[in-house]
Amino acid sequence: MRWSYVAPRLTLLVLLWAFFFFAFDPLLKWGMIKGIEKAAKAKAEIAELETGFFPPRLKMAGLAVGDSSAEFTNVVEFAELSFAAEGKPLLEKKLVVEEGTLKGLRFGTPRKTSAKLPFVKEEEEESRLAAAMSAEAKNFALDRVGDVKTDLSADYKVEPGDLESVKLAKELEESYTANYAGLAEKFDDGKYKADMDALKARYEKAKGEKNFIKQAKEYADIAKDAKKVMDAFKKDKAAAEAALAEAKGAFKKLEEARRRDQAAVMAKMKLPSLDTRSIGRMLAGPMIAEKTEQLMKWMAIAKKYMPAGTKGVLKNEAPRGREVHFPKEKTYPTVLIKKLQLTGELGLDQPLDYSGTIEGLTTQPQVYGRPTIAAIKGAKGPRRLDFRGSLDATGDLIRTDSRLSYSGMAIGAMSLGSPSSLSVAINGATGALEASAATEGDKVSGKAAFRLTGASFKPSAENIKAAQLRSAVESSFAGLTSALIEADISGTVTKPELSVRTDLADNLSKAFSSAMGAELKKAQDAAKAKVDEALKPYKDRLDSMASEKQAELSNKLKASGDRLSAEGESLLKGSSGRSPLDKLKF
Amino acid sequence: MNPLSLIRQFIKGLTAETTPGQIGAGIALGFLIGLMPKATLTAQLLIVVMMASKVNLPMAVFAVAIVSLLNPFIDKVTDPVGYALLTAEALRPLWTKLYNTPVFPWTGFNNTVVPGGLVFGAVMLAPVYLGGKKFGAYYNDKLRARVMNSKFVKGLKASWLFDWYFREGV
Repeated sequence: MRWSYVAPRLTLLVLLWAFFFFAFDPLLKWGMIKGIEKAAKAKAEIAELETGFFPPRLKMAGLAVGDSSAEFTNVVEFAELSFAAEGKPLLEKKLVVEEGTLKGLRFGTPRKTSAKLPFVKEEEEESRLAAAMSAEAKNFALDRVGDVKTDLSADYKVEPGDLESVKLAKELEESYTANYAGLAEKFDDGKYKADMDALKARYEKAKGEKNFIKQAKEYADIAKDAKKVMDAFKKDKAAAEAALAEAKGAFKKLEEARRRDQAAVMAKMKLPSLDTRSIGRMLAGPMIAEKTEQLMKWMAIAKKYMPAGTKGVLKNEAPRGREVHFPKEKTYPTVLIKKLQLTGELGLDQPLDYSGTIEGLTTQPQVYGRPTIAAIKGAKGPRRLDFRGSLDATGDLIRTDSRLSYSGMAIGAMSLGSPSSLSVAINGATGALEASAATEGDKVSGKAAFRLTGASFKPSAENIKAAQLRSAVESSFAGLTSALIEADISGTVTKPELSVRTDLADNLSKAFSSAMGAELKKAQDAAKAKVDEALKPYKDRLDSMASEKQAELSNKLKASGDRLSAEGESLLKGSSGRSPLDKLKF
Repeated sequence: MNPLSLIRQFIKGLTAETTPGQIGAGIALGFLIGLMPKATLTAQLLIVVMMASKVNLPMAVFAVAIVSLLNPFIDKVTDPVGYALLTAEALRPLWTKLYNTPVFPWTGFNNTVVPGGLVFGAVMLAPVYLGGKKFGAYYNDKLRARVMNSKFVKGLKASWLFDWYFREGV
């Protein structure tokens, strides 16, 4: 035995044990803090971390992760996380936990020290949806409604150059001309004529061939080549027609732009809409958009860290030799927490205690083959919380499905609408939220209903100069104690679309209509007519050019097709029924 | 493996453990290690055996290097042998059992060149050992003095680094 080799290794083993006994936990804690800080871009703290080897276990206490956008707030914190890993999967470098415990999970808690990290760039992401809704609410100005009676639209001039639809019509005209030139160039019928002439020449030559076998072979080749020419023609023809259809489809955008122009002109004229949806968006849109943006932001973060849809380790191939795989009695994902018991608090002022479980948390859902399911319940006094959610990443697309019911919420004070147009202060309400949402890949769909009861509504209508309208708005909220706000969400996680409804909007619409609905409608129609009038010459020119070019190209395609067919037939007739060319039909 | 330790053992091996048997055993063990893919537990265990036993280390390392270079050709023999073993119906329960046993998959036994290499290595072990032993006798008789008097070894032994690192002598 070479003791000079063995002895140092034994010493190394002793040192290794000493390392794990004395230094492993502090180093792991430091590494985890750095990892979390890198991901959260804010400071993170772990009060205590303890590991054990027999059985392999981890206990982490006092974790707090700062919010990169709010210096003295924690995004998340918990009191204790503990779990014991199964030994057998660890030998395959897999962390499998039968049951873990997470206690005291809270969100958005205040922190005493700054969460800012040095040298971290602040990312100011503008909330597009919330900004658009706020602008809509702000533009829903009622200050000049009283002027509609004096025919406000008569003094408003529409400049064609400023209209989005006119700009688009000009762009379409230019691009259509360029695209048509490209199509005409691509569709070069001279090329097919030359090919067909060459085939005819070959056919004439083959007719003189005395060797029957050679002649039959040449006929067969000519038939094949003729088919190729016709196939190429058909392919180009289909491409040209598809390009034409695509160009025509672009014209639909013009109609959308026209609608936007009409809305913009009305906003510039400061004419409010009588449509309950528009009023609903003005009132509840900014609040819902803000909440939706927050939800989408969390979903985007979750998606970023969600496991990829591959089976990972199962695709390992050796650089040398071949790997032969055998049936595996049990395949473990790299990380799996089968069940996590969860307790925590929701809200800061009057925290609601909740508890629940999350089952099937894993980094490799396709290997695990089951979705992650969360079920959380909470109750305190009249408040009730019930959340159920599932995340299925076992297929090609990640699917989520969640339902939330939260009733008995005490709403201290909240405000709807915009102070620059019309805002409504709501006090002393009790809220109940019922929401469901589902995602499939990037697509999102969901609905939410928020009911307010026992509330007092106080409209702030100082900006409305027309006394008649102001009074109608104020009286529409008088004696009101409840309201229902509903929202539907669709679109994608990165670009959600919202549809907002509220019975408060119905009240307001009635108030607008009774006060000065007829005059308002007249002014709006006049605004629409002005946009149409400005756009008409450009639209007519575009329509006429498109029709003319389309007819021209269609005629060209038909003529070329007819000529090729005729030449093909003549080629076939000349073969006297002896060759495979007979079978060819153009 | 500590590279400095390997160099040290390597240089020591030029003068120590140089009996023909030790040289033959070193070459045979190096030959077997050379056949294995190195990123497997099997190869690592064989390296530990090589380092812990009193075989001639320089010869073993040379054998590993040479056989590793020849692997693209040797694989043409070991791969089909391994494939035949791994796909043999009679052995299927054994492989499945090993595949489902913790740690065993790390040996790379399900890679065709590992069982193929082990079988080929076992068959060739005795001839390689005997050939290596003969070469050991020849080396001691004809080459050792030349190697020890070579500029490379002399220069190495004369360097202060060598003097400092091998204070106890080689």
